[in-house]
Amino acid sequence: MQTLFDALSLGSLYALGALGIALIFGVMRLVNFAHGDVISFAIFALLWPSIDAVAVVFAGYLPWFLLIPFVLLMGAGLAVLSELVVFRRFRRASPATMMIASFALGFVIRYFLLMLFSSRPKSISLLPSLSQPVEILGARIPLLQVITIVATILILLALTAFLRRTRFGLEMRAAAENFTMARVLGVRANRVILGAFALSGALAAAIGLILASQTGTVDIQMGAAVMLMAFIATVIGGLGSLSGAVLAGFLLGAASVVMQTSLPIDARPFRDAFVYGAVILVLIFRPQGLIAARGTKERV
Amino acid sequence: MAARTPASAARRTIATPVILALILLGLALLAVGSGSRPFNQTMIDIFLRVVLAVGLYIFVGNSGVMSFGHIGFTCLGAYAAAWLTMPPMMKQTLLPGLPGWLMETQLPYWAGAVIAACWAAGWAALFGKILMRLSGIAASIATFAMLAMINTVYSNWETVTGATSSVVGIPIIRSIWPYLIAAVVAVFIAWGHAISRAGLALRAARDEPTAAAASGIDIARQRLIAFVISGAVMGMGGALFAHSIGVVTPDTFYLTLTFTTLSMLVVGGIGSLSGAVLGVVILSGLIQGLRWLEAGVSIGATTFAIPNGLQEITLGIVMIVILAHRPAGIMANSELNWRRARPEIPDDVPGNMPTNKE
Amino acid sequence: MSLLVLSNVTIRYDRLTAVRNVAFTLSEGEILFITGPNGAGKSSLLRAIAGVTPPAGGRIDFAGADITGRAPEDIARMGISLVPEGREVFGGLTIEENLMVGTGMHAQTRKWRSRAVSELDAVYATFPILKDRRHTQAGLLSGGQQQMLVIGRALMTNPRLIAIDEPSLGLAPNITDQVYERLIALRAHRALTLLIVEQSATRAQMVGGRVILMRGGEVLLDGDARAMGQSDAINAAYFGFGEH
Repeated sequence: MQTLFDALSLGSLYALGALGIALIFGVMRLVNFAHGDVISFAIFALLWPSIDAVAVVFAGYLPWFLLIPFVLLMGAGLAVLSELVVFRRFRRASPATMMIASFALGFVIRYFLLMLFSSRPKSISLLPSLSQPVEILGARIPLLQVITIVATILILLALTAFLRRTRFGLEMRAAAENFTMARVLGVRANRVILGAFALSGALAAAIGLILASQTGTVDIQMGAAVMLMAFIATVIGGLGSLSGAVLAGFLLGAASVVMQTSLPIDARPFRDAFVYGAVILVLIFRPQGLIAARGTKERV
Repeated sequence: MAARTPASAARRTIATPVILALILLGLALLAVGSGSRPFNQTMIDIFLRVVLAVGLYIFVGNSGVMSFGHIGFTCLGAYAAAWLTMPPMMKQTLLPGLPGWLMETQLPYWAGAVIAACWAAGWAALFGKILMRLSGIAASIATFAMLAMINTVYSNWETVTGATSSVVGIPIIRSIWPYLIAAVVAVFIAWGHAISRAGLALRAARDEPTAAAASGIDIARQRLIAFVISGAVMGMGGALFAHSIGVVTPDTFYLTLTFTTLSMLVVGGIGSLSGAVLGVVILSGLIQGLRWLEAGVSIGATTFAIPNGLQEITLGIVMIVILAHRPAGIMANSELNWRRARPEIPDDVPGNMPTNKE
Repeated sequence: MSLLVLSNVTIRYDRLTAVRNVAFTLSEGEILFITGPNGAGKSSLLRAIAGVTPPAGGRIDFAGADITGRAPEDIARMGISLVPEGREVFGGLTIEENLMVGTGMHAQTRKWRSRAVSELDAVYATFPILKDRRHTQAGLLSGGQQQMLVIGRALMTNPRLIAIDEPSLGLAPNITDQVYERLIALRAHRALTLLIVEQSATRAQMVGGRVILMRGGEVLLDGDARAMGQSDAINAAYFGFGEH
């Protein structure tokens, strides 16, 4: 039971991260390496600049119904800004060039945070009431884990509804499949891309919020670890396929947790190596990913 | 294409590695002439980065497949050098899990570097055998997974790699010449591979995959050859890296180094050997200039210093600006030559502009 | 009145010139066929008009405004709808979703939704098979059905000019007949201007209208389809006799 919840909550993080990357990849073929730094940024936006070990909170004392929108807005804002200032200039560049540009941008964001906050991890207590355990079917599960899972499911449902039921969602799905054709039908390319960035930034912020409340610390590196797995989930899921990204995110979470409990003690420290090895195997047998996205093959 | 046999290609392109070697030699002489220790060390760093960027170029530039995993080979090379060259006493305390024969061995640094290169090449052959079946973005991510695997193993194998703690006691080489030689050797290896039958076939497959496959080029095999050669160069770079600072940790050879190396290659021009070298020299020059500003500059009575972190921020911004204006990098696909930059385009593309053929 | 005016349009891909100094005008309500052998530059011309590949030289005017180098979405919003070759349906979207994509551009106008619904009914009336399968994923349709879908999708944008690249490619002759029948009817019904690329001039001679014959990126002939008949110039264009 505990294992199941561990797997689901870890998978939730990976799934949300993979979704944020897949959204942007879908509309502009950009593998956005700055995504992890957006995660960190959204949380640091709650703090006053300082280099102390204890966070000097500024917006963190807001009640939760203001705090959550604030953080999401920060993530979305930074992502939108990065599109306006940086990525808009790379429309005609190759995916490799865009990828390096996104890495450079991530670098800039990370060292900007470093300059203001130093590289020391800081302790922060966000939403402290959530750390008590609750009893579910005889197992004691941290309330936060339950909330993480429920929140992820809600986010996924909301996103699905948005993509299926709204005009903007329809345009985004069309653009993800065949960007040129969507433009020929009058879909405003820049607006769709901005929308994708805003959504992806908000998803990043949600991850930041969950991570910070789970661990009780914030750290400028915190985005990077989730990112690596999220990338891999995006590729395994079939680049550009949103449902694939979510599925692969949960699979990776499950694989990590299952290996943690089932590997022999000696091999446990190498758990991630086994996960990565499994990733390579999946890629060999399904190079297009578990769910191959349409329209990812070619964009000339 | 048919006229481009390795021999004629060698005659036409020999200028490129020679010019690059002369540039590197010039830098080394400058460092020695200045007699400044820190400047010497800076130059050593530049030569190391040249080795890594050129090693990466051998695979990425010729195959067109992005690799995030090559720093893994650097990690393998660096630890191999540590195992081979540290005094046995140090190994017994720091790395008690090493096998007996390795524990007893202590080789000179150059022998260690050669073995480290072979060791890395062996792993490259093994990984490459599996990975080269993939192409495109799946291949890139698989190399990423390979890097993460290597990092996880080296970060956790307490008795053999010292896990995340630093392995110290590696003999430090302060002379600039071995590093210069390594950089020049890397440049010539890259050139030799590029004009070899394998290199020509690989570039043909990069530019015209369907035509190349139809004319019987075994793309996976050509990629594997490039992967192994570049793995060896990366391994050699790793070994020398270890000797330049005397300390290794797994995280030295992880994401940051991956991306700085990749950035230098991309800024220089991913499809160009000259780009790999110039990208390193230009970005390193920039980094050095910014470090100097960070330390503080006295103008008259006041000292100006830029805050910490601004160095990286400026570097990132400069990279974005360069890429926005020259998406194919500074050199694009050209190589340095005695005359002017010569576009590297197959001669038989229809509508091709007349190139200066000899 | 001329709806579309091309003056000295040149299109290049890298250093390869696909279209060289092409000029013609198209009046409102006209049918124009562009024909010619493979590589004549027909599709490139359509893509340039729709803004997908901006021309390297020359000028394109539509309804009195210069549209050279404008973004495809802007050109679409001015009333040109391109149906590119290869039936580019959004395979993961349902038929109805495919049709709705192009209506977003009218979303600023009031009563957009009700108009979209009536457009949808009109398309379904033209191609009833699409209505029967409207919740099917477009990727699962047959070639002919996909061709109907992309034409219907282009019509949903309520264009003044519809530019179609090879509507008959890969279709059974009787389906092609149906498609053309409907296009002609629509033209009469909504004063639609048609610009159609076909490899052979046969269809143009059946339907009537004007024909432009292209070869090697240049216009060889421009005239009435039926008058042109099986002239020597057509043979010259296809088989390379004559001055080229």
